[in-house]
Amino acid sequence: MKKKTIIRYILIVAIFVITILEIAPIILIILNSFKTDKEIWFGNPFSFFIPTLNSYHNVISSTTFTHGLLISLIVGVLVTIISVMLGALAAYGLTRFKFRGRNVIAYSMLSSRMIPQLALMVPFYMLFRTFGMLDMTPSLVIAYISFNIPYAIWMLLPFFASVPKSFEEAATIDGASRNQIFWRIVLPLAVPGLSVASIFVFINSWNEFLYALILTGSKDQTAPIAIMGYLGEYTPKWGEISAAGMIMLIPAFIIALFMQKYVIEGLSIGGVKG
Amino acid sequence: MDENKRRRRGFPPSLYFILPATLTVGIIVAFPLFYAFFMSLFNWPLVGAQRTFIGLGNYLSMFEDNEFINSVLRQVGVVVIAVPIELIIGFFVAILFDRKFPGSKILRSLVLLPAFVLPVLSGLTWRLMLAPQYGPLTYLMQIMGFPNQAWLANPQLAYATVIIQDVWRMWPFMFAFIYGGLMNVPKELIEAAKIDGSGFWNTILKILLPVLEPTIAIAVMFRIVDILRIFPEVYVMTGGGPGDATMLFSLYIQEQAFSFFNIGYASAMSMLLLAVSIVIAIFLAKNVFEANES
Amino acid sequence: MRKFLLLVVILAVATFGIAFGTTIHVLVWDDVMSQAVQTLIPQFEQTTGINVVFERVPSGNPILTKEAVGVTPTQSSYDLIALDEPFVPKFASAGLILNYNDWPEGNVYKKIDLNSGVILPTVFDAAKFAGNIWGMPINGNLYVWMTNELMLDNPTYQKEFKAQYGYDLQVPQNFTQLLDMAKFFHDKGLYGFAPFTLRAEGSTCEAVWMFSSFGTGIIGLENGKYVVTLNKEDAIKAMQYYSQLLQYSPPGANSMGHPERIAAFSSGKVFTMFQWPALIPNSENPNDSMVAGKIAFSVPPAGPAATASVRGCWVLAIPSASQNKAAAAEFAYWWASKDVQQKLASMGMASVREDVLMNPDLIAKYPWYKAMAESMKYAVSRPRFVDYAELSSIVQKYWLAGVTGTMKPEDAVNGMIQEINNLLKTYNG
Repeated sequence: MKKKTIIRYILIVAIFVITILEIAPIILIILNSFKTDKEIWFGNPFSFFIPTLNSYHNVISSTTFTHGLLISLIVGVLVTIISVMLGALAAYGLTRFKFRGRNVIAYSMLSSRMIPQLALMVPFYMLFRTFGMLDMTPSLVIAYISFNIPYAIWMLLPFFASVPKSFEEAATIDGASRNQIFWRIVLPLAVPGLSVASIFVFINSWNEFLYALILTGSKDQTAPIAIMGYLGEYTPKWGEISAAGMIMLIPAFIIALFMQKYVIEGLSIGGVKG
Repeated sequence: MDENKRRRRGFPPSLYFILPATLTVGIIVAFPLFYAFFMSLFNWPLVGAQRTFIGLGNYLSMFEDNEFINSVLRQVGVVVIAVPIELIIGFFVAILFDRKFPGSKILRSLVLLPAFVLPVLSGLTWRLMLAPQYGPLTYLMQIMGFPNQAWLANPQLAYATVIIQDVWRMWPFMFAFIYGGLMNVPKELIEAAKIDGSGFWNTILKILLPVLEPTIAIAVMFRIVDILRIFPEVYVMTGGGPGDATMLFSLYIQEQAFSFFNIGYASAMSMLLLAVSIVIAIFLAKNVFEANES
Repeated sequence: MRKFLLLVVILAVATFGIAFGTTIHVLVWDDVMSQAVQTLIPQFEQTTGINVVFERVPSGNPILTKEAVGVTPTQSSYDLIALDEPFVPKFASAGLILNYNDWPEGNVYKKIDLNSGVILPTVFDAAKFAGNIWGMPINGNLYVWMTNELMLDNPTYQKEFKAQYGYDLQVPQNFTQLLDMAKFFHDKGLYGFAPFTLRAEGSTCEAVWMFSSFGTGIIGLENGKYVVTLNKEDAIKAMQYYSQLLQYSPPGANSMGHPERIAAFSSGKVFTMFQWPALIPNSENPNDSMVAGKIAFSVPPAGPAATASVRGCWVLAIPSASQNKAAAAEFAYWWASKDVQQKLASMGMASVREDVLMNPDLIAKYPWYKAMAESMKYAVSRPRFVDYAELSSIVQKYWLAGVTGTMKPEDAVNGMIQEINNLLKTYNG
């Protein structure tokens, strides 16, 4: 008994150590966001310093950046909702139905995820310019869902595949329609997968740079483009970039925390773990 | 009942699920993809001179382009080293985290943070950490007895740093995936194994791995596809240097496209990248997808 | 009657709309200067009635990409773009931008005459290609030399230096002095020099600086065809000299970029080096630097053949396909007007006008303006070539290999010449 407890404590300590080591660079970024550039570059990194809110102040008063955050947020949320919804539908369809062309569809979805953004940058630009849709939020959403829907589909496939068919069979016998089965039974069971997919689709969109660069102008700039402005032609403004980067991490962190809640809730509803 | 009704009308229920996604993606991607392929058949300067049709010329010259070949080799090196390490770390950390303890929820979210960090910021931070004299890592390594040097100025070390940066940033991605998969492993299975007296490694090999195989395969597939396109973090960290030590394929394509404006050549290389990605992905995904028949 | 009046009103509004409702799209790089200009735009809009959509994009590949994709001979998303000067040849030869001679005269703000000296000819050269000027440089960006005054004025160092080398410690006037002083401080446990050795455009600039100082160019036009004009002996000497300087530089000199050099200099450990004016404020800011207010500015030291100051201006260019050329030109003249340039200079930004740079009040506040104005007399261009990016990449690669010791200087120079020849062969056709 005692051995088991000791092992358990060792493991928990290990977890804490690993976490701290892993986020050490992020702690560095946080610290840097409160330092002046001089301290960042030649203060002893482990010495005491007086924090300053200067960088945050500069970043937050930059309307370019705050506007960029707003746009990134709107685009990110829209893209996540659309991609995960359509992706879940398709992933379910692909795992539950057998039909001719099933493989073709599945693999072409996969392939469209693989298309390098660089290849499509110029064609997308020309396409949207023809329709006068440059520098508009819908255009970004359209461009982003083009690679996030396949991403979501393939992220969700293993999760849908592992939901036992027994639940659905029972429900069919009870007279439930396919629709009801999907929305009421299968989807809740796949919540862990939906969470993981949502987080990473959101991040894909939140951090994306190439399409945003080419498709947006002054009105629609996203946060990553605004941050590049702090990169400077020659040398970065380290304080500001750290502050801006931290601000950008916050929504992601909140979503991750938020999604955790649903992972746990989903488990108790689904009773997968008994 | 509804299902039968629909079948009589000739509208299979599967379409209801599949069509929205397929149509959306198809419509959006069709023209750009064909145009990208179209561009790859030309000697196409983005600025200036007229474009000339050269058919498969771009594809053929790729294989005579030493810089291209070397950049591919460097990229493959990064993939082959980084991805397995990310997988192994992610796997064991997922198992480690799979228990109840105070603060588990927060720690899980914290450990994911590197995967959420803006790639540019990640590259810059590593450059800062390894700066000579004042970088925190350089400082720490000096304490441990290493000489004070500019780590990123050494070709081999710079290459290693590119790999380390990616491992640091993306093993949490593998962790998230595998952890999500672990959630779906029926507890009964593990309980049964424990009762049978199965040891730690046995449980992993005989029980966990087979169940997690689809999840792992997909995670690895995603990781490989994405690491083949790694760009901003490397660019701000080393710029491709010192010399050409970290000039990966993805950096080379960028240089061709937007420094030299050879958009035709860059498109051809992108098409090649696409083809390779598809092959790898289908190879990995096949088992997952088609094992699903049962 | 009512309908007639309505028609008149509509026509009147339409006419006024055409005259005053012009909107121009301007694409510029993103940094402190462009951000400052943006705050001044309302003044322009009021005095001219022209609306300005001002788009700032990070410099380097991002802005170049947008310009390449957005401007074609027949269609342009922008009415005014800021081109990094090495890319003027490419855009000019493709017929994408307007010859400065064809720029409309301004209404409220007047066109700047090429020969007026308001912008020095050596600076207007930033927009030169094939004998014509293709735009208007908008910032005065060229090598300025910085020397650490704390080290310079230190009596102990002065005595010891004089004893060792036989002349006074001073701001290095030529390459011999530069090397002596670099070695002197290195032997004292400090650093004499901080190079730029990243695989980036900055290294091409260093190469051009060194080559020009030793008396050789890289390429030139002969009978309408481009040929290599690089003199092997001079190039090898340049590489050898620079690699000696590297020995007296801080650790990591083999892969040093701007953040690292600025940090090294601002920490008070580097005696002397070049700097771009845009970056000087970093070292003059007491929050960021230990040598703020203690820097001597001058023109670069003279090489065996010449004094050279590499120039890197942004050039405002009007796309040929723009529908609003007059309005765009007006904006450019406004930006270059004495009033605006003075405001920008008083905020610490490198002005392109000689009369602004030599303003005594401004010099008192920003001592390097005087050095900038003097350096302008020695401005040198990087090679003016349509496929500049490829050329620069070759120069960088071999220059860095030669100075860091990866290749012997002879081999590096030979390699450089050979690859440039290949490039020229492809280009000359």
